Amino acid sequence: MEKERISSVQLFLLLIGFLIGSTVILHPTSTVKNDAWMAIILGCAGGALLMMVYVAIALLNPSRTLVEILKDRLGKFVGTAVSILYIWYFIHLASLVFRNYGEFITTATFPETPMVVVIGLFAVILVYAINSGIEIMARLCELFVPVIPAVFLIISLSLIKVTDFTAFLPILENGIAPVLKAAVSFATFPFGETIAFLMVFPHLNKKEDLKKTVSMSLLFKLVLSLLIFFRDSSVLGADLMDRATFETHMTALLIPGLNVEPLVDINLLIGGGVKISICLYAAVKALSQVLGINDYRDLTTAVATFSVVLSIWIYENILEMFRWVDKIWHFYSLSFQVIIPLLLLFLSLKKRKEPSKDGLKAKQQRNRRLHLSPHYKNNLKGKTNIDKKH
Amino acid sequence: MAIVLAVFFILVLYDLQRFIRKKKQAKVYIIYFFLMAASLTVSLLLAAGKRPASPAQWIEGIFKMIGVVK
Repeated sequence: MEKERISSVQLFLLLIGFLIGSTVILHPTSTVKNDAWMAIILGCAGGALLMMVYVAIALLNPSRTLVEILKDRLGKFVGTAVSILYIWYFIHLASLVFRNYGEFITTATFPETPMVVVIGLFAVILVYAINSGIEIMARLCELFVPVIPAVFLIISLSLIKVTDFTAFLPILENGIAPVLKAAVSFATFPFGETIAFLMVFPHLNKKEDLKKTVSMSLLFKLVLSLLIFFRDSSVLGADLMDRATFETHMTALLIPGLNVEPLVDINLLIGGGVKISICLYAAVKALSQVLGINDYRDLTTAVATFSVVLSIWIYENILEMFRWVDKIWHFYSLSFQVIIPLLLLFLSLKKRKEPSKDGLKAKQQRNRRLHLSPHYKNNLKGKTNIDKKH
Repeated sequence: MAIVLAVFFILVLYDLQRFIRKKKQAKVYIIYFFLMAASLTVSLLLAAGKRPASPAQWIEGIFKMIGVVK
């Protein structure tokens, strides 16, 4: 592995950028209208469990990437097969975010520009960032990710007079079932997708800070999501929020006498950019490890090109994308985000409990050498003399 | 269609001269050309207006086949 190291703060910002990602424009909980705040809290709780599973896997297998863990725990053949599935999953995830970005830009900002041009130009910049390495990506996050909450503050404060604070009432109008469904959506998108960070965690310079960093980013995302919901809900109202395709964009349009629409684009550029970079980085790194290629940069262009083409190919239009995400996504992502990580955690815990045969043999040999060494005998004599004196 | 071909030609040319200069392993060439060929084929089909069945449809088909989704 290349000697690239990132600090806890950089990882925190990478996680924040990733978690915000395309949720800048799309809210997975908006289907439950007024009760979205409950879905956000429950979804975050579920997401916290998922992310803690990933952290536990990373801590039980220090300095190992997802591919290395899979090969080690599931065997070379099955591990490689599952790794290939994960490579596909990361490319698919990147293409989904590319598509969200393209749809938003061509709908809201540049309606005359073909989507492939918008996505292609964005991909060129991201390939450059990925080829620069994870350190550079993390430093870019230090520079850009703080802009996201700043933009949120600007939009929210500008709308402080246009709000109706009773808009999120009544509570549980349609029962708890839709809230739970939305919470599951929120747990898988975006929290479950942080499985890609198992390719990034080995670069953290202080492993002991991993749990704290992940928890902090989770808490930040929870607070930001709740604030965004209360802002959008009190400005748009539950019904309009449910019908709008891009709620945040619509909210930004309502600021009287001020056009802050480009700020939403900037937020999407940053959040989406971080998410796509991490997904593509994870895919390319995993692919190079599966094939035994020394430098992952050799494949970045090919994988990014494939991802761009996939983003255009995979759905005919935005409605098909929403239908697919609503109907299929949970089942599709369940195995990647829950089943395989839980299996890996179980196998890692099992491996830790039973010491390996080689390790046991080495320990026995060390003990034997220690018992035979004159130093040990002298120590033992000294100890018995002290005992006698007492 | 000509634009698609031109873009892919530039991308491959740019990477290929780098690979040759650095004497990359054969498997780098194989996986690179596999991904690029797949991308080019799909791009040409999309440009021609003949959209092939997408992976999203395949995945949906698999889930329907095993009875997860109706």
